Amino acid sequence: MRKDLVFGMAGSGGDGIVSAGDSLIQAAAAEGYHGVMTKSFGSQIRGGESSCRVRISIDPILNPGGNLDVAVALNWEDFLKFGAELPVSGTTVVIYEAATGIKETEIPLVGVTPLQVIAVPIAAMAKETAGTERAKNTVVLGLIAGWFGIGAVAVMKGIRKRLAKKGEELVEANQRAFDAGRAFAMAHPLKASMNIVSSDTKGNVKLITDGNDMCAAAAIFAGCQFFGGYPITPSTEIMQFFTDHVWKYGGAVLQAEDEIAGIGAAVGASFAGMKSMTATSGPGLSLKSEMMGLASIAELPLVIVDVQRGGPSTGLPTKSEQSDLFAAAFSAHGDVIRPVLAPTSVADTFRITIEAFNIAEYYQTPVIVLSDQEISQRKETLDPIDTTQFKIIERVRPTGADLQDYKRFKQTENHISPISHPGMLGGTYLASGIEHVESGAPTNSGTVHARMNDKRTKKFDPLKDRKDLFEVSGNPDAPIAMVAWGSVAGVCREALLMAQEQGINVKLLVPYLLYPVAEGVYNEFFASVQKGLIIEQTHLAQTHKLLRMHLDLPKGVKPMARSGANPFLPSEIVAALHNLLSELQRSHEGNLQPQE
Amino acid sequence: MSATGTLDFQPKDYKSDLKPIWCPGCGDFSVVQGIYRALAAIGRPPHEIAFVSGIGCSSRIPGYTTAYGFNSVHGRALPIAQGIKLANPDLLVLAAGGDGDGFSIGGGHIAHLIRRNMDITYIVMDNQIYGLTKGQLSPTSQKGRTTCTSRYGSLEEPVNPLLYVLAYGAGFVAQASPTDLVGMAAVIEEAIRYPGFAFVNIQSPCVTYGEEAQQIKGLKAIQESLASLGHNPADRLAAMDLAQQYGEKMHLGVFYRNPEPPPTYGDLVKERQALLSKDALPRERILDLFIKK
Repeated sequence: MRKDLVFGMAGSGGDGIVSAGDSLIQAAAAEGYHGVMTKSFGSQIRGGESSCRVRISIDPILNPGGNLDVAVALNWEDFLKFGAELPVSGTTVVIYEAATGIKETEIPLVGVTPLQVIAVPIAAMAKETAGTERAKNTVVLGLIAGWFGIGAVAVMKGIRKRLAKKGEELVEANQRAFDAGRAFAMAHPLKASMNIVSSDTKGNVKLITDGNDMCAAAAIFAGCQFFGGYPITPSTEIMQFFTDHVWKYGGAVLQAEDEIAGIGAAVGASFAGMKSMTATSGPGLSLKSEMMGLASIAELPLVIVDVQRGGPSTGLPTKSEQSDLFAAAFSAHGDVIRPVLAPTSVADTFRITIEAFNIAEYYQTPVIVLSDQEISQRKETLDPIDTTQFKIIERVRPTGADLQDYKRFKQTENHISPISHPGMLGGTYLASGIEHVESGAPTNSGTVHARMNDKRTKKFDPLKDRKDLFEVSGNPDAPIAMVAWGSVAGVCREALLMAQEQGINVKLLVPYLLYPVAEGVYNEFFASVQKGLIIEQTHLAQTHKLLRMHLDLPKGVKPMARSGANPFLPSEIVAALHNLLSELQRSHEGNLQPQE
Repeated sequence: MSATGTLDFQPKDYKSDLKPIWCPGCGDFSVVQGIYRALAAIGRPPHEIAFVSGIGCSSRIPGYTTAYGFNSVHGRALPIAQGIKLANPDLLVLAAGGDGDGFSIGGGHIAHLIRRNMDITYIVMDNQIYGLTKGQLSPTSQKGRTTCTSRYGSLEEPVNPLLYVLAYGAGFVAQASPTDLVGMAAVIEEAIRYPGFAFVNIQSPCVTYGEEAQQIKGLKAIQESLASLGHNPADRLAAMDLAQQYGEKMHLGVFYRNPEPPPTYGDLVKERQALLSKDALPRERILDLFIKK
């Protein structure tokens, strides 16, 4: 019996691979399991390759998983295009379309002998039972129910609901395809049973959503009433959520003519006193940078979500990467700090988005939320979240006394000035991108410029003390360490548990606040560390470099960095930690002083 | 906040404490006076007015007006103005700037504001030159014009701002000139009162880099009031015919006023908000949307 199963399925666009994954995770949730589903495509809309991974577990899930337990290939050409995204190992059961004509002993996977390989006449079974090959995905779900014990009832319930509008005939056809798949599995038992144990939380309320919808819902929860943006993969679903819901709260959404107008309208709405946001991906972040500079100098609250994909330029529009870190931290010209936050899962996207609004409002600043394609488009099952635990912060408004002689950019002890908005009697002022004195009047003075730069940067000092925006796990005194953020953090959380089981004394730091760099938090974390890895999906090791700009990392802390669309596996991180451990032992045996 | 509280205001109530840094004799001095007069005639208190601009000599104008001003970045007055209007539809929203700001770097925004028909008045101070960067070719510069970036003469046809906005379907289009301050104030007032997007092109001479023919004297020589021509502002095609003479004749007054103004974007948004508000889950329960039964 298994507690955890990772499925990976690939086929051509139109094969229904992703909707099969959807059915599977929904069925898993209904049966009380935790689930995570990620999707990966070519950038074509129809045709081309399409894949998903679904991980199902009786325990909470930290990431989409490493090597596949079950691989499903509707054709090999498409399956192979996903390479490291769908890794097959010696413990994988491979199920593939018999109509490919490839023998079970000759499947085109190089250098690996799977646990078991089974050719199934999936298309033929679909055609025979449902009258159309389009039911192939339902046959696959039947196979999964039969072999792995997931979704025998719930899958068909979901399909029934989804297809109800299309008529009973289609539902019945799919039922036959599903039953055929299940019967095939029963008739051809696996060499070793891989049934998942049943969950004892069956029937508990579960939520299912992805990072983009979660981000938009969190924004509305935080009081955001305006969204300005422009369609761009993989962030568009955030705008779509707003167009579905924000009107209900007296808010508005503007699908603008371009990325610049999208953020421009959001800047305008914030100036008018409304919490507002925009969302984009790499190319849009580049276009929005001038407006981010404007919001910084005009000290206007604003949340900018950047759902990262492979860059530069169009790059890999449908694949995950973390290479916008520099662009986010150093977006726009001038001496300026713009806080950058990063969620690590669908679940914590809720909290981090709320934090982004709170920081934006409190500090009167644009805040960037660096999500990534994996988090934004992956679906997770979630336990209900108690929303009453979150505090919502509003920008500080001028009092009656402030308005007697109102100075919008007044120097204060904490460098934060009460902010008025149109409609407020006595609060008129000039907001501007040009340097200004306390009243808002333009100036060319170097003295004022230096003073205002000081105000606009020093106001962020308290943010660096926000230890709650960092997660430290493992032994606090460990000599070996990992640092990871965003979707990579989940992989490292699992690697940490595996490494600890294998006796490695290691700890993990996950920053939710990436910028400004909280030197104190890192220095405290690294105090015990001699060897470590900064694990990130960037080619240039941007995180490692950003940290080195701000602090003296221990010499033994190195980047483990790679380009996007090449996911990390927990097992390879554990292997890298073993190497660090050996190095550490060798350096001790050689009677060398431990490095500081 | 009161939406339409009409009080007794004087033009000076809209004059700010900032001293304009425009060149002596600049046409924009008249424009700001025209705006003060129009606002006083309308009588909205300064704190209910948002006045947005981009970058350029003329984009300094919100700073010289008592209102909630926003002197933003080059070419982006209109997106910001739209965000303000959507966030608070009760505000009087003005946008202003130069021909380069509006028709070159920000040229992509006008068409979209027009088709959204937001109730925003956009005033362009058209001087056919980039003044703040010291005299380069602008989108409304005449073909053949020599400037510091066109030593051998411009190779490009100018944009026709009037025809441009008419073609996209602006509901109110007018032109004014510092040669007639009273007429200018009246046209701006009418533009603000028009319920929907309104555009006013103002031929505002650049005394430093403008050519002789573009100075007050030259403009007077080619100006002609549309009223004197018997032009009917409800006639959009006639307006487009007259607008074609941009650059040769300077027609003053209202080219086009839609006699049956359609609902504004703001009206439609309010309608939608009212219709959907009953479906709102309390914010603290928004995650219920994700519950799978």
